[in-house]
Amino acid sequence: MPSQMQAILWAEWRSLMHFRPREGAAGAALAGLMALAWYALWCLLGAAAYSFVTAASVEKLARALPRVLMFVLLYWQLSPVLTASLGASLAFEKLLVYPIPFRQLFTVETLLRLLTSFEIIILLAGVSLGLARNPAVPAWAAVSAVAMYGASNLLLSAGLRQALERVLARKRLREILLLVLVLSAAVPQVLFVTGIPGWMERLWAAPPLEWWPWTVTAKLALGARWPLGWLIAAGWLALAWWFGRWQFARSLRFDARAQSSGAYTPRLRKAWVDHLFRWPALVLPDPMAAAIEKELRSLVRTPRFRLVFLMGFTFGPLIWMPISFGREQAGSVVVSNYLTFVSAYALVLLGDVTFWNALGPDRSAAQFYYLLPAPFSRILAAKNLTALVVVLVEVTVVMLACLALRMPLVAGKIVEAYAVTLTLSVYLMAMGNLSSVYYPTAVYAERSGSPGSPARFRALLFLLYPVAATPIALAYLARYAFSSGIAFYLVLAMAASLGAIVYAVAMDSATEAASRRREQILAALGEGGGAVDAWGGG
Amino acid sequence: MAESQFAIRVRDLRKLYGGKPAVDGLSLEVPRGCFFGFLGPNGAGKTTTIRMLIGLAPPDSGSIELLGLASPDHAMEIKRRIGLVPDESLLFDRLTGGEFLEFVGRMYGLERRVARERAGELLALFELDGERGKLIAEYSKGMRKRASMAAALIHRPDLLLLDEPFEGVDAVGARLMKELLQTLVREGVTIFLTSHVLEVVERLCDRVAIIHQGRLVLEGIVEELRHGDETLEDLFVRAVGAERTLERLEWL
Repeated sequence: MPSQMQAILWAEWRSLMHFRPREGAAGAALAGLMALAWYALWCLLGAAAYSFVTAASVEKLARALPRVLMFVLLYWQLSPVLTASLGASLAFEKLLVYPIPFRQLFTVETLLRLLTSFEIIILLAGVSLGLARNPAVPAWAAVSAVAMYGASNLLLSAGLRQALERVLARKRLREILLLVLVLSAAVPQVLFVTGIPGWMERLWAAPPLEWWPWTVTAKLALGARWPLGWLIAAGWLALAWWFGRWQFARSLRFDARAQSSGAYTPRLRKAWVDHLFRWPALVLPDPMAAAIEKELRSLVRTPRFRLVFLMGFTFGPLIWMPISFGREQAGSVVVSNYLTFVSAYALVLLGDVTFWNALGPDRSAAQFYYLLPAPFSRILAAKNLTALVVVLVEVTVVMLACLALRMPLVAGKIVEAYAVTLTLSVYLMAMGNLSSVYYPTAVYAERSGSPGSPARFRALLFLLYPVAATPIALAYLARYAFSSGIAFYLVLAMAASLGAIVYAVAMDSATEAASRRREQILAALGEGGGAVDAWGGG
Repeated sequence: MAESQFAIRVRDLRKLYGGKPAVDGLSLEVPRGCFFGFLGPNGAGKTTTIRMLIGLAPPDSGSIELLGLASPDHAMEIKRRIGLVPDESLLFDRLTGGEFLEFVGRMYGLERRVARERAGELLALFELDGERGKLIAEYSKGMRKRASMAAALIHRPDLLLLDEPFEGVDAVGARLMKELLQTLVREGVTIFLTSHVLEVVERLCDRVAIIHQGRLVLEGIVEELRHGDETLEDLFVRAVGAERTLERLEWL
């Protein structure tokens, strides 16, 4: 292996050895368990594919294999795009100053792609091993064809990643693309409920085209004596290699700063928008008003916030619509509480950028809060109030979106949506204040695809959301048990009161922790990276 | 082929950010073995120029020649022969200082043993050896700059590009760095330095260039550019047209 490649891998290995999870042992263990469960699931799938392929007849395999291989290609290429999680990549800004040959950089970058969709490699390995053990199939042909197919996919994904990253460097385009990608994730939901359109069914049932890579690979893997097929497979591999190299070379020449620097904004528009941010001073004294104004300005200028805000009233209604109004769902709980469900979902989305890691977007500038002649609780309260305002605006927009879609909304349900979302907000913000001081992590506002909360903490959210929702669930239980709206609102009012107490206690604890852990907090918010960029998109 | 007498030669360099020129038609020649000061107010285009020189930001137009080699055609050879202390950190936070220097040495093609030996010597020279086990993430700003300087020297470059190298460095460290740089210039290394500390530039540099709003406004030997007993600070203020009287704020 060339020495510079060795050096990069060695540096990354050393960095990993020095890594200590900031989220503590519990968070790391939970994240580890979830990753284990995820890959165990894929191992099961790989084992199932292995046992099916080992015993299946050639006729059966001839029908199934092209489809499995097509799924492999689609998953491998599209899953990083759809999840906007582009995976680990070389930190070009840090490495380009060194005399590293293009070939070495390209090789390391391509190998890193193995990590992005490792689960599909597990599945492909299962298929490949199964074919090799199947007595009706020549092992050498199966292994060679599937290996060529895997290599083509790897190179194609390397090229696609580079192309996508350059697109994502363009501010507006990035946001639009991410929104489209996110919205497209709702398509399977819609199809599941509305049924697959006829043209799609015909397309699926039609015999696959001869020259597609999955068709060629399947035929070759099953032992077809087809020299032209090997040539076509080699052609696909060469094409993927050329595409990967071409895109990588373009990325090396790409100046992200030039693309992300904003165009000139006319003064008139700025002045008009400026008035919108000044309302806190009309209703609150400084420094609270100033802090809220700062938060609002920062949020609106943060691509990630704009994305999740848009998702709240576009993706939210779309993803809940099939569940609520699809076949055999009429009159369900989700239908009668559609607006509440969509609003709560929007709140969950907003939490990532507003309260789970409230200090993250400030990064090392957070030290300013420690210099202020105001208690730290005031800062957290200002951030929470801003989040609350944003949530109220979001619920309103969601309601308008539902009305525009002619959803059956009544006044009572609108009031309920506001009441439930605000009560839930109180609990989530109480937890968010604690997570902000115990699990702070620097957030780079320009990355729309990257989540705002630390990776390991996100695993904990699966536990925290049900806990926060329990008091509200009790209110619904009361309505169900007593068939009474009054009972619902009484229990909800109690839940809100309890939430206020929880919030106050959590705020005291968070303020105390912010003071005690100030060094750790500032160090965590000021931390940078290594030769390979952290996992994340955009 | 005869070696070019210029370590840096740029012609009509131009770079736009968001439609606005960050560097606008810059032409510059830096002789070999020269201690060259590249000055300018904040946002004048100094860092963008350095980013273009090292190939991190491709210019929109113009040509760059470093050590007689055209960029980007001979990018690999150029990179092998230059050292960089950037304004922003290129350090890898989760490595120790020694590990980082060894990594950089190996990236420049040094044998692992040589890289490790030089890393140890540079750590000692820059007084970072007392902190061997410390991660770079835990370094102070001055220590980070010293580590950057050590990394820029590990392969013994012919041309050093230094962007604010003394920022955050204490007086002892700064003195050590200055002496080292002067020694390197005496041995034929060319140094291209940007700094806002004009006293340092005045004391170290043979030649200076002043850039303002992306354009070169002044260039030459320091002594020849000065009028009478004018200091470099006076010269700088005159060149960028920033002379103004201090208006007293009543509340201050």
